Amino acid sequence: MAASETWTRWRYRYVPDKLVGEILAKNWIDTLIPVVILSGVLTFFSVQMPGFLGGSNLTDIAQIYGEYLIIIVGITFVMMAGGIDLTVGSVFALCNLAALLLINSMEINLAIGIPAIMLLGGLVGLINGVLIGYLGMRAFLTTLVMLIIVRAIVDKGLLDYGQTISRGFNASSAWEFMAIGSVFGVPSSLVVAAAIVLVGHVVLTRMRFGWHVTAVGGSRRSAYNAGIRVKRTICLTYVLSGLLTGLAATFYAARLSSAGTDVGKGLEVTMLTAAVLGGISLGGGRGSIVKAMLGALIILLVQNSLIRMGLTSGTSSLVLGGLLLLAVAIDVRWVKNRHKVLARAYVSPTYFKLPPLPETAADSGSDYALNDKLRGVEAIGLGELDGPEDVIFDREDNLYCGSRHGDIIRFFAPDHTRWEVFAHIGGHPLGLAFDGEGNLHTCVGGMGLYKITPEREVIKLSDETNRSLLSVVDDSRLRLADDLDIAPDGRIFFSEATVRYEMYDWMVDALEGRGNGRIICYDPRSKSSRTVLPNLQLPNGICVEREGQSILFAETWGCRITRWFFDGPRKGETEIVVANLPGYPDNINRASDGTYWCALCGMRSPVFDLALRMPSFRKRMVQKVGRDDWLYPNMNTGCVIKFDAQGNILDVLWDLGGEAHPMITSIREHKGFLYLGGIYNNRVGKYRIPGADPNWTSFDDYWGPSA
Amino acid sequence: MISALKARWDAFRGSGEAAVTVPPMDGALRPNQLLEDAPLLCAIAAPDDLAVRSGDLLVSSGTEIRRIRADGGTDLVKSFPVEVTAIAASAGGTLAVGLANRTIELVGGKPDGLVLSTLGGRSAVCTTALCFNGEDQLLVAQGSATRPVAEWKRDVMERRATGSVWRVHLSDGKDQALAQDLAWPFGVAPGDGGQTIVSESWRHRLLQVGSGTAPKAVLSDLPGYPARLHRDQATGEYWLALFAPRNQIIEFVQREPEFLKQMMADVDPAFWAAPALKPSATFLEPLQGGAQKHLGMLKPWAPTRSYGLVVRLSSDFRPLGSFHSRADGTRHGVFTCLRFGDHLVAASKGGDAIVELARSAAVRPVPELEFA
Repeated sequence: MAASETWTRWRYRYVPDKLVGEILAKNWIDTLIPVVILSGVLTFFSVQMPGFLGGSNLTDIAQIYGEYLIIIVGITFVMMAGGIDLTVGSVFALCNLAALLLINSMEINLAIGIPAIMLLGGLVGLINGVLIGYLGMRAFLTTLVMLIIVRAIVDKGLLDYGQTISRGFNASSAWEFMAIGSVFGVPSSLVVAAAIVLVGHVVLTRMRFGWHVTAVGGSRRSAYNAGIRVKRTICLTYVLSGLLTGLAATFYAARLSSAGTDVGKGLEVTMLTAAVLGGISLGGGRGSIVKAMLGALIILLVQNSLIRMGLTSGTSSLVLGGLLLLAVAIDVRWVKNRHKVLARAYVSPTYFKLPPLPETAADSGSDYALNDKLRGVEAIGLGELDGPEDVIFDREDNLYCGSRHGDIIRFFAPDHTRWEVFAHIGGHPLGLAFDGEGNLHTCVGGMGLYKITPEREVIKLSDETNRSLLSVVDDSRLRLADDLDIAPDGRIFFSEATVRYEMYDWMVDALEGRGNGRIICYDPRSKSSRTVLPNLQLPNGICVEREGQSILFAETWGCRITRWFFDGPRKGETEIVVANLPGYPDNINRASDGTYWCALCGMRSPVFDLALRMPSFRKRMVQKVGRDDWLYPNMNTGCVIKFDAQGNILDVLWDLGGEAHPMITSIREHKGFLYLGGIYNNRVGKYRIPGADPNWTSFDDYWGPSA
Repeated sequence: MISALKARWDAFRGSGEAAVTVPPMDGALRPNQLLEDAPLLCAIAAPDDLAVRSGDLLVSSGTEIRRIRADGGTDLVKSFPVEVTAIAASAGGTLAVGLANRTIELVGGKPDGLVLSTLGGRSAVCTTALCFNGEDQLLVAQGSATRPVAEWKRDVMERRATGSVWRVHLSDGKDQALAQDLAWPFGVAPGDGGQTIVSESWRHRLLQVGSGTAPKAVLSDLPGYPARLHRDQATGEYWLALFAPRNQIIEFVQREPEFLKQMMADVDPAFWAAPALKPSATFLEPLQGGAQKHLGMLKPWAPTRSYGLVVRLSSDFRPLGSFHSRADGTRHGVFTCLRFGDHLVAASKGGDAIVELARSAAVRPVPELEFA
């Protein structure tokens, strides 16, 4: 091996390139931008202003931060639903006026006064909501007009009640607590804000209303088609925003007792800047309360510091406007390009070298020499099936297979021409296995491990396993459960092909060449799953051996078949049974003469084998070449091999040119015939095995003859 | 300095020289099945070049030149000890034959028995196309200065440009280079005003060359590798055969020196990620994702390394119409297409067939009204 190749091998073993794509794929990656900005702001002002992080400054900021937070939670809901609320500035002023009037001058009990003030804010929100949600008016214009109208009302109110307010004074301790009180040093407004933030976060991420808001903001039309009451949802977000602004204004009133004309002026721009800077998209549907918190904190720190640095208020607005522009630019560019960056970064090839390709020429005398034994096999369900990945028989000789439409199809014995949908699962059923009681077990791509009783009841057995300690992708969910087999004690061993790709992308995993898959054991006694063999190269077929102590499993991209002992004296050991296959092994099943069948779903090609040794070549290919043009393993020709427990190749069945069975993903022997399935095929093939036991069935071989 | 920076910038952006994008088949090149469905004139192994001599249609196949009878059968005209790489016939009945043994033989007519073995003092290693201009002038395309025709795959993957086009005066044996350093000239035809039109295959374009003037591109960015070019004497139009399609993965591999070197060193040329003359017949050839068979069927729009394409060009080289055999077809690797009597005949080397095309079918398709 050349020195550079050795270097490549080590470099790809120890540098985890895949993490870049996995981190970029996380939803929380959006939050990274405000975090970076925040740390920039903190660093800048800490250097510029000694005592910036001092205690007294923080206490000042904390009180205002509490008020900001309360407002921005409401704004977040409005923006998440795709709207915008510019009225907050005047609503804030209006509610401040009302609070001073009701509580300071009229000395109404806080328990009545605060809800009343909030309702006043909510009323303005309701007007917004009705105009925007129900009448379909533009959010920007409507709230801009409302901003002016409400401001006019405030100015009028100040003229009428300015005298009254300035004379009022409420001496109640509750009012004083709202103004200057604190809990363990945390100002009262911040305590209340924390509670609201918590509730807001839970509602937005965990509850129906929050999901509706996100859905409406993400795609209004789809939300409507999904049955969400779009108009009501939009209306409610404005009401919520009004209510929360009212509450914030009450705290402000308690703190400052000021009714000047400039109260709340420019607040709408400040809040909008904070939200967008935090990463709440102006287009709706993207954002979180945490992002809003970060945005508000950044804005507050900048504002506060600029004032303390002695800048005039005009300069401060200039900086704020600049920040808003920057935030909008980042928002637009990021949302537009994120998926492109992700698409370029996610596929992460690694170094993998296969041994030299075995000879397959017809006259080569090789174990794998080409022949035409599968030419002209009988077809079952031709043109009626779509994607029978696996095939299996019950005791009554009925044939079962999966379909891409998410069904299990049953063909009736004896001639298998009549068929029905045996059960609908919803995902593409892949591997199939019967237990002794006649329950059909299946691995469903994208869904997990399922069981269908003879009464056609569909039961989910497992859709998760233990999360491994250091994985960035959430590998506790089953993404691509593939094939399974059942041990004599009822434990189910099943393979998950890859944890990095979804069902429809499984071939892309071939470009990585890494061990992204695993074998999982489901234990019916504890009804739970655990990963037993991690880091396999697309583990696929699984077959429990007759001794009941070991399984044979195929690693598709590794081109090998391995034995693993799950019981008995050699428990936990693995050994390679067949290495260096000329193709990519798929399902493994028992044969009538005590040996095993294995389907090769595709064949190796020298060019792809070479590409596997050059990870950077594949990386560049993914980045530069269109997806349909990528090099893949050759999946247009398949074959079937027969091997014994020692790994000797006994027979090979080819379908040259892939006329009838381009890609064979499974085989099942039943009463002297071999049945062939294919995940992209439109039929099940039926091949007469010369000299096979005409009475042998897989079902009896596993569970004994019927009583 | 500037060019080095530009190269890096292009490599980063995937633009300029680093671009692996291929032009779409659109407009006059919109795909159809006319070539695939065309009636078979003659089934013959690997037909390479066609020529019309004294009303007879001649074809070169392997080491032989055969005459095609009206009933589809063939008669042997002449057999050679080595592969025939190009043929051309003059109106006076002289046949020029390019051979893999570095010579060009002339058969019949005045120069009968003449053997050309050097052009400009160098041996005629790689005669890819021949064309008579009158009885005395022979236009010769040399695909490469060093490689024989059989090594075309290596040449295209390395994107060499050592080819040349020559004008030879048969009466006195004088030769004259019309253009040098071309990337595999694969077809020559007389143009207007004494100019010569050359198809420069590896650069996917047609050039107009003449002694004393710099080559000028008259048609660029073809979606395939152009092969031979023949002028329709009756109409002044041209018939251009393209023997393989451009493909993103091939363009990409061409720009990956390390991978290319390894592939050429370790892998049989038949299994390279390179243009091909026949549709993939073995799993040892590389497969592209879009060519995966679904429901037992290869889609006609699948990415492919072989294709059948004949294009009709106006006398000023605007494409007017085309005949296709798509990814799921068999009549791939068309090297030559010319007018024979009232018909158009095309030799599909990959499809082992000579087919008859209806000239009138090559028109620019009218776009269908999708939502009418």
